[in-house]
Amino acid sequence: MSGVFHAAILFLVAAGLQVVFGVQKIFNLACGSFYALGAYVGVSAVGWYAAAGGPPALFILPLALGGLLVGLSGVVVERGLLRFVYDRDETFQLLLTFAVVLMMEDLIRMTWGTSPRSTAGLYLAYGQVQLLGATVPVYNLIVIAASLLIAVGMGWLLARTSFGRIIRATADNREMAQALGVDLGRVYARVFTLGTALGTLGGALVIPATAAMSEMGIELIVEAFAVVVIGGLGSMRGAFVGALAVGVLRAVAIAVYPELEMLLIYLIVIAVLLLRPRGLFGRATA
Amino acid sequence: MTGRAMAGRAILAAAGLAALLVPLVAPAYYVLLMLPFMAYAVVLLGLNLLFGYTGLVSFGHALFIAVGAYAGAFLTTHTRLRSFEVMLVAAAGLGAAAAALVGALCVRHVKIYFGMLTLAFGMVFYTFLLKFYRLTGGDEGMRVLRPHLLGVDLDAMPKTDYLAGPYYYYCLAVLVLATLLMWRIVHSPFGLCLRTIRDNPAKAEALGLGVTRYRWHAFVISAVYAAVGGALLGPPTGNVDPTLAYWTQSGNIVFMTLLGGFASFFGPILGAFVFIFLQDLVMSVVPYWRLIFGAILAVIVIFAPGGLMGLFARARP
Amino acid sequence: MILEARDLTASYGAFRALDGVSLAVDEGECVSIIGPNGAGKSTLINVLTGVLRPTGGSIRFKGRDIRGVGPVALARLGMARSFQLVHIFPDLTIIETLQAAVVSRLGRGTRLFASLAGDREVQAGALEVAELFGLADKRHALARHLAQGDKKLLDVASAFALRPEIILLDEPTSGVSTADKTAIMETLVAASRTIGLRAIVQVEHDMDIVFGYSDRIIALHEGKVLADGPPARIRADRHVVDIVIGRPRPPSPARVADA
Repeated sequence: MSGVFHAAILFLVAAGLQVVFGVQKIFNLACGSFYALGAYVGVSAVGWYAAAGGPPALFILPLALGGLLVGLSGVVVERGLLRFVYDRDETFQLLLTFAVVLMMEDLIRMTWGTSPRSTAGLYLAYGQVQLLGATVPVYNLIVIAASLLIAVGMGWLLARTSFGRIIRATADNREMAQALGVDLGRVYARVFTLGTALGTLGGALVIPATAAMSEMGIELIVEAFAVVVIGGLGSMRGAFVGALAVGVLRAVAIAVYPELEMLLIYLIVIAVLLLRPRGLFGRATA
Repeated sequence: MTGRAMAGRAILAAAGLAALLVPLVAPAYYVLLMLPFMAYAVVLLGLNLLFGYTGLVSFGHALFIAVGAYAGAFLTTHTRLRSFEVMLVAAAGLGAAAAALVGALCVRHVKIYFGMLTLAFGMVFYTFLLKFYRLTGGDEGMRVLRPHLLGVDLDAMPKTDYLAGPYYYYCLAVLVLATLLMWRIVHSPFGLCLRTIRDNPAKAEALGLGVTRYRWHAFVISAVYAAVGGALLGPPTGNVDPTLAYWTQSGNIVFMTLLGGFASFFGPILGAFVFIFLQDLVMSVVPYWRLIFGAILAVIVIFAPGGLMGLFARARP
Repeated sequence: MILEARDLTASYGAFRALDGVSLAVDEGECVSIIGPNGAGKSTLINVLTGVLRPTGGSIRFKGRDIRGVGPVALARLGMARSFQLVHIFPDLTIIETLQAAVVSRLGRGTRLFASLAGDREVQAGALEVAELFGLADKRHALARHLAQGDKKLLDVASAFALRPEIILLDEPTSGVSTADKTAIMETLVAASRTIGLRAIVQVEHDMDIVFGYSDRIIALHEGKVLADGPPARIRADRHVVDIVIGRPRPPSPARVADA
């Protein structure tokens, strides 16, 4: 069950990756760093909330809100850095996101220090239930539900709103979209911010279950990377199925043979890349 | 010889002389700092064969650094062998073997898929090093005992004297040899073919050059260099650990290459030097070297993709 | 027969680019392939040079079956090609490009530790081709800085440097000014005599060039061979003229003198 919880969080981060890759064709290594940022901000938000005397039962609100709001900082990265390299080789784009990873790692350290931060005790504030023979914190279920809601919301956004149509058009054929009057700069800024907000939200929501630690960003990105490879680059459905697959597989692996854990996942990634590079739902790219 | 070539040779000679004199004139701290620089310089010479000359960006190259480092460590701690020569040859051999396998799988793919595959392989090795602690020592890593240089057992020497003395010159010799060898490779018919594949694989094929085979060769050679460099990294700290294989390490060495300039032969060596010494400089003031280096990388990518050597080339008319 | 193709078919999904194309190229022939856009000319070249696999039919080069053989192996067997969209090595100089071709020809590509500058055969071979094509005085220029005509010339010259037995050119003079076109063709003809080229196959749109330099013309239309014969017969073929050439016009004076 914790596998599904982990999958729910992974989905959020992976969805952020996918939407950015799909539209801007950039693999945002910094997505993990935004995840970490969301986590730390989440801890702080809950801390302020508790200090301000808010009822503990509603802690999830400042948590989620803090996570979402800090995601807006993505626009700074996009406008300030990324937009200068859209016409360059993808290697340079990737390296620029790596530069952001480096910078954010230290920025987080500078702001919150190096020792882990956590929201002690709040994890079980909503109690636990018995589900399928296991004891599951209700918090997990809330997050899973929220993640599902967001998945549906993303689907709706992409299929039914004009913004979603613009996103899909730009993802399909950027030149044509531009020719049809789409303001690429604005679309990119919004898409990137959406992507980072999903990541920061994921980071915030995971906080009660685990502590915010300085390596969490660079560790999560490789898991998210596995998710998008298995699911298929650029595909939202892929993010969903991939996250589920990775989350559950990892939980199973830990239970059965702890050494395997991520090793199994990486081997599957390699197998996918060698045998079916576009993953489960990705489009065949050149 | 053109004036520019003469200036280049003069600078090279000066650098060589300086490198020889460092242990005699500089404080021990800086002499010791030269050791990881030299190790990474060897690694980067190999990486740039893959990156600058063949056009392949690997995000898992740290794998081979770790292979070399652990090979050396394993020999000193699990066998009776302490000869540095054996360690280096073993590192090279294991690096080549691993690269032959990994490369065979990876080089058929290009661009982002190549990057992703190499990243995945790098993380596989990292996880293996971390989790199979009975074999590898887990997150604490493996100890590296002091190697015997050219058959001479120097265990009795004080550590700093050993590292700043015979070990320093040994590493310098390895670096010089590695550089001479790579110079030959790059200026050989093979090197020319690599550049054709980098520039236009379709045309290279039309000229009868098998693109995948050449990439594979470049991959293996670069891995050998990485492994040898890795073996050089172990002895100074006396320990090797799994972080050597982590993906951010792979990112850092690509960063170093870009910093120095991937379009130039000596660029990567310059990059390693600047990275190591600047990192040390920054760390002595604030612990936030990543912030500064991240900013430097961003500046390079946006304004100076040719790196420091690229800037020097632009500055001259 | 140096090159012989029978009933070649090639499809992109449901679209049949080549529909039963047969042709034969004999010793000493210069064959031009003409046809309107979309007729399948480039596809034909790509199939013949191993870049594309035909879905049906057979190809024989020097008597051996080369169906499914890739461009690398074909280059080693003596077949060279140039490309419609210019294909050069942007960061190599002219002379380096030619050296690469010679290195490939001599099989010295795996020499890791030999000095390229010291290899006299490679140096001389590359210089020879540069001189043949009039590129010697700018041989240290980077390919990316060359004018379009010179890039095309380099593409063709590097194919020549392989000393192939047959060369297939995909629009060797397209995108090039009229003055340069003739220059390129003259160089080609002269160069082929020097290196003992046995046959040339070219896709061409410029009818002056086609009628001025071909021994035989093959007209393609919608993936099929419309006509196959010497220039005079093609020019007289109403059907071909309508579809491919347009209204017939008298040959230009310069070419009459050569014919």
